[in-house]
Amino acid sequence: MTDYEIHELMTCRVAAEVDNDGVTVMGSFTPLAYASYMLAKLTHAKDAYLVGFDAVGMAPVQLSFTGAEASAYKGAVCRWGMLTEINSIHLANHGGVEAVSSAQFDGSGAINLSAIGPFEAPKVRLPGGAGAAEVIKMYRKMIAYFGNHNPRTLVDKVQFVTGTRWKVGDRAREEAGLQPGPIVVVTNLAVLVKDEDDRPFRIESVHPGVDVQTVVDNTGFELEVPAEVPTTAEPTPQQLDLLRNRIDPFGTVKFDFVSGKERLSYLRGILDAEWDRAAARVS
Amino acid sequence: MSSSRTNGKVVPLESLGELVRDGESVAFGGGWFANHPMAAVRQLIRAGRTGIHAITVVGSVDMDLMAAAGTLGHLSFSMVTLEAFGLAPNVRRGIESGSLPFTEYTGLGLLIGLEAQGRGMPYLPYRGPFGSDIPARYPEIYATTNCPFTGEQLTAVRALQPDVAIVHALRADAEGNAQWDGTSGPDVEMAKAAKRVIVTCEEVVDRRVIVENAHMTKLPGYYVDAVIEAPFGAHPTSHVPRYAMDAWELMDYAAAAGDPEAIAEYVARIRNETEEGYRERVLKGRDKVLGALVDAAEVIEGAQA
Repeated sequence: MTDYEIHELMTCRVAAEVDNDGVTVMGSFTPLAYASYMLAKLTHAKDAYLVGFDAVGMAPVQLSFTGAEASAYKGAVCRWGMLTEINSIHLANHGGVEAVSSAQFDGSGAINLSAIGPFEAPKVRLPGGAGAAEVIKMYRKMIAYFGNHNPRTLVDKVQFVTGTRWKVGDRAREEAGLQPGPIVVVTNLAVLVKDEDDRPFRIESVHPGVDVQTVVDNTGFELEVPAEVPTTAEPTPQQLDLLRNRIDPFGTVKFDFVSGKERLSYLRGILDAEWDRAAARVS
Repeated sequence: MSSSRTNGKVVPLESLGELVRDGESVAFGGGWFANHPMAAVRQLIRAGRTGIHAITVVGSVDMDLMAAAGTLGHLSFSMVTLEAFGLAPNVRRGIESGSLPFTEYTGLGLLIGLEAQGRGMPYLPYRGPFGSDIPARYPEIYATTNCPFTGEQLTAVRALQPDVAIVHALRADAEGNAQWDGTSGPDVEMAKAAKRVIVTCEEVVDRRVIVENAHMTKLPGYYVDAVIEAPFGAHPTSHVPRYAMDAWELMDYAAAAGDPEAIAEYVARIRNETEEGYRERVLKGRDKVLGALVDAAEVIEGAQA
């Protein structure tokens, strides 16, 4: 067994949901989601069609805070704008997989990226959902990931529904003109799946060293617990090598897993390395 | 139509304060940390504009800086975030305290509202964000309608017409023909929907340069009312392929933004300097590295068939 960190296992598990069908739109630079798409495209899903910023049909890129956008264009076959993208991908039912995260998520597949507390006078005003409200409903698969699985994030009912899967079961989705596909939630503890409207999320797997009761105790909504819960697959040496050496050598994915005071110095460290590499080209 | 040998629609950045009036609605282009018309944002702050109803799809430092400077009277958005640097503290403070009235759109709803206006339609229908709490909050924007042929339930979004759109292009000529190479985000849709369009650009060029690269023209000049040359006009956000986002300036901004005294100082510095002074202060000796960050960004070689 190779040593790995939890963000690496999560990246590999999200990557497993990326396939060769449909289009993945990446939106803003969310390192774990980006790393997952790149890993999939370098391994089992070479034909995955990626759109990042306005770069359509991207090659896999190395992740960096300042370079993700520029690199997206370097290997892309086409440049669009936001309206062409939503008309040609989201609304045209070509959206395959998009991984989102949110401040709150509930057992119906709803996300809250708007407000904690009253909407008009919130305790915490959150960033807003951008296209997430439509994306999680329209895309074939809804993937949600959470680096900190706890009952304040995975709640019984979100305080405000920024967006939701709306129809969950394959038949209900097809009848509504939507692509059939599940909701897959990947956290630092487990993988949860929902594929029927009237059934709760079930625990698909727990990560190595995590017991089922810990997952149940840390989830604010009802879970179905199968008699046998398998263990989530660990990253392979090949996956770890790609992630560490080719996709994310600066360590951007880990940034979202660093908390408190260390967070800023961790970010500064990455940015220093990015600066130094660029500055070396100038002198 | 002016010839390429005249100044045509070209005006200096300093005149922006006369082109945008207090209380008007202004759509600001760009998205994420890419290509926001930041020189224009700074100039609106210098001109002391107030009561601006800003419209952004995915705003960042542009919206937060205007919120801090007291430029905004209303904010319409689908997202505003400083991403790795955190939530947008001044937008947050404004909304949480009730001092900044806001309208939260769904991302597609906002773009479709702009598209409707650009096409001369009062609204457009789409298979909307059913189940979202957002549409019910804004019955003046979102409504439920039915397909006249099949009866399918659809979401209607009302046309959105900003008084002004301000977008930042790579280059434009005196007629206003504007070109982008990298991220154009919502810029074209905003320009097509607005009553008046102001294009800031990295450089004003002769019409000949536009013609030679005609495939890059995303906004033809007949939409455009004014062209302003603003080098590094998206800074500290990016304008690929010219320069990457200035994460270091953004980090300084984020550090100041959460502290009322520090952000007041940050705003005062911008207010009391010219755009040229800003470039001199913030970019001196660093501009080449910001460009090199674009060159250094890597595609993973050998990965594509």
